[in-house]
Amino acid sequence: MINENDPSTLTTSGRLLNYNEAIKDGLETGLRFTKLMDQLIKTTDPDELVSAATELADFTLDSDYVTFPHQYSNADYYLLFMSRMLELHDQGKNVILQSRDHHEELTQQLTPLGDRGTFNFRVETSENGGVYYRERATGQSLFYLNLERKMFRFNSHALTQLFIIDLHETVPAETVKTSVQILVDFARYLKEDYGYSVDFNILDAANRQNYAVRSTDLPAGVVDRLFVMAAKEDYMLTNGVNGNGAEIALEHGVVVDIFNNQLEGQPEWVLTVHDDDQKISWFDVLLKYPFMRDWYLENLTDLEISSDPLIFG
Amino acid sequence: MENQEQQASAADALTQAIANKLEYLSTLQAAVQHGDDRQVYELLDQVRYYQEVKKTRSTRAVNHLAELVDNIHPQISHYLSDNLIDYLGHIYPFFYYEEYTTGLFHIYFGNWWDRRLFGDLDVINVKFEFDEKEYQKLKDSFALEAHGQRLNTAQIESISGQSEQLQKLVDAQTTRDNQKAELREQLKENSGKSSMPWDSGKLKDERQGIIDQLTKLADEDEKALNAHKTIKENDDRILVLSKEDTILNYEKQSIRDAFDDFEHFEAHNASLYADYLNSLLGKSEGEVTVDD
Repeated sequence: MINENDPSTLTTSGRLLNYNEAIKDGLETGLRFTKLMDQLIKTTDPDELVSAATELADFTLDSDYVTFPHQYSNADYYLLFMSRMLELHDQGKNVILQSRDHHEELTQQLTPLGDRGTFNFRVETSENGGVYYRERATGQSLFYLNLERKMFRFNSHALTQLFIIDLHETVPAETVKTSVQILVDFARYLKEDYGYSVDFNILDAANRQNYAVRSTDLPAGVVDRLFVMAAKEDYMLTNGVNGNGAEIALEHGVVVDIFNNQLEGQPEWVLTVHDDDQKISWFDVLLKYPFMRDWYLENLTDLEISSDPLIFG
Repeated sequence: MENQEQQASAADALTQAIANKLEYLSTLQAAVQHGDDRQVYELLDQVRYYQEVKKTRSTRAVNHLAELVDNIHPQISHYLSDNLIDYLGHIYPFFYYEEYTTGLFHIYFGNWWDRRLFGDLDVINVKFEFDEKEYQKLKDSFALEAHGQRLNTAQIESISGQSEQLQKLVDAQTTRDNQKAELREQLKENSGKSSMPWDSGKLKDERQGIIDQLTKLADEDEKALNAHKTIKENDDRILVLSKEDTILNYEKQSIRDAFDDFEHFEAHNASLYADYLNSLLGKSEGEVTVDD
């Protein structure tokens, strides 16, 4: 009996044929890969771009019989994808891809931020899959992206640490704002064009966005502190419209509310930012108003805006 | 015969008494129906009305008729509050009212965070019943302002001073540790010295001196150990006091915006009844008023 799965039962020519098939498969995989790379690098069709990136995201180039000594990591295809996506939306100049000279590895810079931040993707090794967009020097993961699951999640903790704390002294607020806007735009294209589920978190400028704070049952002293700090800057913290929280009117019709979103049962304190044009997010408020920033950072253990606990738990 | 006459005159007197009451009630009813709040107030307290609004002494004896409606005061108050609160809104723009039960009103000062419950509004008597404690704080705070101070300035300074001292104790831990090491060394030396009888007193004193210093340092170590907790508690206390100062500051500013100073505010409160009824009188001028 000849069993094709058991080489010992094969004739010599049978074995050679099997070997040959395996190499063909391996080369086929390689060809498929080059095709996807072509697509990723050259296509001008956003749909093709997304499908190439999605397939490359967990593409295994090597097989038992054919291995490729020079390879970029899967994470690099995400960077390429991000750059190309921005390019197709006429924002290609907003990021700079850099390739290392001696080995295959890509890094990225946000043009306005320059060398104050170098970014790459880090592949999530658990079965959740996906990648984290990470600032290399600080290790802060600003967002999580999963092409297969069409998921995009911003991380309030990392955004705060990097932009509101670490770069605060040395990078002007306006520069931070334009840099972060690139990330927001990237997420927006995925959401609007491909129906991604996106959590913009503290970058969400929509009025209906409730930013949930970490202490669901916020200690009263935290709001008291804002009251006192605001008064020193000639801003008045008033009773909220809904009667179970506080409100502060900032410049240009921007109104921040902090209140318990649950009338009964377990409390759930949230922040909201309202403005007529829906252009201002909590992140923008932190950038613009030093006393709000001080208040937020001094009470960060209670106030930090929650990020998706399944991703950034 | 005489009995019958007596009986008849008793009946007349009673009929008259009842008629007076009926008349009082129907006048009040008509006043409510016509929305004549001024007359309602007049009927509720004729003596006061004549004294404070007409500035004449009422010729009539006190008739106690107003007592007839004592038990519907909540309803009357509820009814009268509409126009009164409207009026107050213009003169005291910083007061907010909450009808916590029919005809009874809490006064809140301001619309800022954690504004104070400042007392009650007595609608029937057109009078603020301020919470004495809260009112006194406001008064004191105006007085202190003349000296450039806030109500809690002194207390905040003293607590901050304590925290600073504690922080210094914490910061000086290394210095203390070095001192202790040195003192222990001295102690060892002291015990090692062969004590000649004429030296023993001196050595003993020296030893005691070192031990005293070590004890003092240990006490400071202990305080420093608890300092973090105390500093945190102090921060909380300062927050409560700063918050109160901030609230008082808003209250003072509101009063200044509306009345220039506290004295004018008090004067307005004192003449509120007369001022309000005169304003109603002004409104009803030209209308036919039933003058009995």
